[in-house]
Amino acid sequence: MKTAVLICTFIILCLPALPESGGTVRPAGHLTFASHWLPQAQFAGYYVAKDKGFYSEAGLNVDITHATASIDAPSLLASGKADIISLFLITGIAVRESGMDLMHFGQISQHSAIMLVARKSSGIRNVRDLDGKKIGIWKTGFDEVPRALITREGLNVQWIPVLATVNLFLMNGIDAMTVMWYNEYHQIYLSGINEDELTPFFLSEYGLDIPEDGLFCLSSTMQTRKDDLRKFLQATLKGWEYAASHRDETLNIVEERMNKAHVPCNRAHQSWMLDKMIRLITPGEKQVSQGRLLEQDYRNAWDVLHPGGNESTRLPYRAFHFSLMD
Amino acid sequence: MRKNTLSFRLIRHIVLFCAALFVICFGVYYSVARKNLRQSTRQNAIQLADNTVGRMEQILRPAEKIPENIAWMLESGLIPKDSALSVLTSVVRSNANIYGAMIAFEPGFFPDKGRYYAPAAFMNGDSAIRTSVLGDQSYEYFYMDWYQIPGMSHISYWSEPYYDEGGGNSLMTTYSVPFYTWEEGQKKFAGVVKVDLSLEWLTRMVSEVRILKTGYAYVLSRSGVFVTHPEQRYIMNQSIFSVAEELGRPELRDMGRAMLAGESLMIPGSNPEGEKIWTWITPIPSSKWSLAVVLPHREMYSSLREMNLILLLIVVAGLFLLSLYSIRVIEMLTRPLTQFAASARLIASGQFHTPLPEVTTQDEMKELHDSFAFMQKELATYIEHLKETTSAKEKIESELRIAREIQMGMIPHIFPPFPDLPQLGLYAMLKSAKEVGGDLYDFFMAGNKLCFAIGDVSGKGVPASLFMAVTRTLLRSVADKEHSPANIIRSLNRSLTTSNDSSMFVTFFLGMMDIETGQIDYANAGHNPPVILSPDGTISWLPRTQNPPIGLFEDADYAEATFAIRPGDKLFLYTDGVTEAENASRELFGEKRLSQELSRCSRQTPKELVSTLETTLAGHVLDWPQSDDITMMCMSLNE
Repeated sequence: MKTAVLICTFIILCLPALPESGGTVRPAGHLTFASHWLPQAQFAGYYVAKDKGFYSEAGLNVDITHATASIDAPSLLASGKADIISLFLITGIAVRESGMDLMHFGQISQHSAIMLVARKSSGIRNVRDLDGKKIGIWKTGFDEVPRALITREGLNVQWIPVLATVNLFLMNGIDAMTVMWYNEYHQIYLSGINEDELTPFFLSEYGLDIPEDGLFCLSSTMQTRKDDLRKFLQATLKGWEYAASHRDETLNIVEERMNKAHVPCNRAHQSWMLDKMIRLITPGEKQVSQGRLLEQDYRNAWDVLHPGGNESTRLPYRAFHFSLMD
Repeated sequence: MRKNTLSFRLIRHIVLFCAALFVICFGVYYSVARKNLRQSTRQNAIQLADNTVGRMEQILRPAEKIPENIAWMLESGLIPKDSALSVLTSVVRSNANIYGAMIAFEPGFFPDKGRYYAPAAFMNGDSAIRTSVLGDQSYEYFYMDWYQIPGMSHISYWSEPYYDEGGGNSLMTTYSVPFYTWEEGQKKFAGVVKVDLSLEWLTRMVSEVRILKTGYAYVLSRSGVFVTHPEQRYIMNQSIFSVAEELGRPELRDMGRAMLAGESLMIPGSNPEGEKIWTWITPIPSSKWSLAVVLPHREMYSSLREMNLILLLIVVAGLFLLSLYSIRVIEMLTRPLTQFAASARLIASGQFHTPLPEVTTQDEMKELHDSFAFMQKELATYIEHLKETTSAKEKIESELRIAREIQMGMIPHIFPPFPDLPQLGLYAMLKSAKEVGGDLYDFFMAGNKLCFAIGDVSGKGVPASLFMAVTRTLLRSVADKEHSPANIIRSLNRSLTTSNDSSMFVTFFLGMMDIETGQIDYANAGHNPPVILSPDGTISWLPRTQNPPIGLFEDADYAEATFAIRPGDKLFLYTDGVTEAENASRELFGEKRLSQELSRCSRQTPKELVSTLETTLAGHVLDWPQSDDITMMCMSLNE
């Protein structure tokens, strides 16, 4: 929460210095998409859509770029270096509420991949056992949902901010750690800890199935390039669909992207990530079709972001999300 | 060499036996050598790993001492906060492997220094040392692993290796030691002292581990990441667990876990090509990393394979030489045999004085030579003896032949005997079992009566034939004067009994037939009674008489009897050679069979009848040798 606010503040401060959104004249059908993290299988659908020509089939000319540790995705959007960005839904709400005029127009993942994980050897078997324990949490953000769980359960824990690695957890410096199912959870496994040695808490199983990766653009883009955005969303979903049925080919595409960006690639890990992303994208029991944002999910996300908030202060769903699929 | 020679067979047996012996010896040798080689190779690998780990420790342990000492000095207040930089500078300067050193304090530790305070010294280029006080919003060191882990776990910590972008992109690791202050008697975490170590030496050290031909070593970090590996793309990019997952090989994961657990083990496995390998894993105690030494299974035995090849060549050559030598020796030893065989052939052809091969040894060959020489001598003597015997036998045979001719000449053998007496039919035959026999028959006209006789001398051969000749001669001379059969026989008996030292005797039948009336006066001296055969096939035997054979008792009396034959009847006389003719089953021809055959031939002429019986007898006896003389005589009085 705090991090999200910090990011938003930073963006607001930067805004006046940035060119007017939409001020850059772009050729029709040209779009730049920025993923909110470095290239990896989390964004496989975009790479596949690009490399398999789904974007160009839709008449789009899409460039794919990515945020880095020093420049985040909203900054790329604000500076006009990207037309479309991906963001966690909650981050997107926070950025919007911080004053940036961005709109949500597509929801890629439909489920939460956030989980807490503890070693069985530490005696932690259920959520109550976390009381009084040290829990690692990302210093860079995405911490709202686990914090919401601990608050809701009325537990008193010591949050330990960590940067990027799981080493503190591996070295038993902390009792539990916040991880992404598709990422750090597998990194722990790839550090030699077997799954049966871990107690996992999937937040989705505790009523906090908040969707994550969503697609955002500036309101101005929304007004002028609705058609391109729709095509982008549809082609992206097609990319994911292709990725789901062509895992090996998709992994090759991902690997190529990572190599090009000089990001170390570990195929076993990317394969795990791809597999989990495809599961997260599939709506499953949720009454929503791919690409859309369920209003209830939006409300849940907003509530997590605003503990103690109420209906009257909540940003209306329609003001945040623009459905291109109707 | 011909395949059926003794030498060939001997050599074949020897070579096959030697080859089998070699296979057994080789099997034993191979399994023992293999075991020893495996043990020694493994021991080498373990030794090599231990040495390598020892050398690593020689670098890691002293490096640990530096931050530990600084931490101790900080805790003891020996380093004033403003002199930290100079201490750190001297640390970096005096330790070749240390790239940088830092004392990082807890946020806001010195209120006058602000939130961040981390004095540091580090290499800048090859020789220059830069100092700086680090820590700001963009470098919040207290969230770094090297700081957080010792801070949270209160242990000194060797970090996961990493590529330091500022340090020439070389592989580095950091050793960090927590230090504490005491506030109101409470020990309180105050910060971390760390040194950064370049790992170039580690990479070099591990790459120098060479075992067998392609054996190699690698190091895993505490989380299983490849710190060094001959496969460059693995380094810092893959963990043993990700490789295990990628290749779908859970056993690799198990090995990784054993390595991380600090175990020392020899683990069997296979490389990605599917070849068997052995991996010796052993921990690097200070950093808690693990060293693996990989031994390709196939190469463990490569020296053994070379040795096997040499051994095989030696054995093949040895067997070949053994064959050659055996051929020589056996041929030398068995050469006399061939010569003996040639000599034997010559001896067999009658050259009994053929020279034998010379044998100088005192062995079986000598025995064979002596046996041959003895055989030669014996054969020569025997053949000489045989020649003499044969010529004697030939002489006797020739004499016997003459005797037979004389004997046969004594009995009438021209048929019909009396062409001027057409009413009289007569035919007789005598077949001796040996050259000469003891049977006799005779007939002649004495006045107007036909005198006829048949006899059988006891015994066979020459004595019997002589007795027969005497009997026949006496008969002729007596019959000239006497016309009563009984009287003739009595006379014959007296003559033959006198000076009959050898106690021979003769059964004898003598008849006188009036050819006009058919009346026959006869006397029978113990001979088989003759048979009267009517034309209708009825046969009747003359009654047996009690008269003894001639030659036994000087005073014996002989009765005379008379009977008559009608025209058309036949009188058949025979010796016991007919009824006692034996076949292979020892069955006698018998009187019953004789009467049957006679009945069947009742209408034949005497000649035909005798011939038929002769044929029938031959059919009965077949190939069985004749044991007794056979004599048959048949006469008829025609109408």
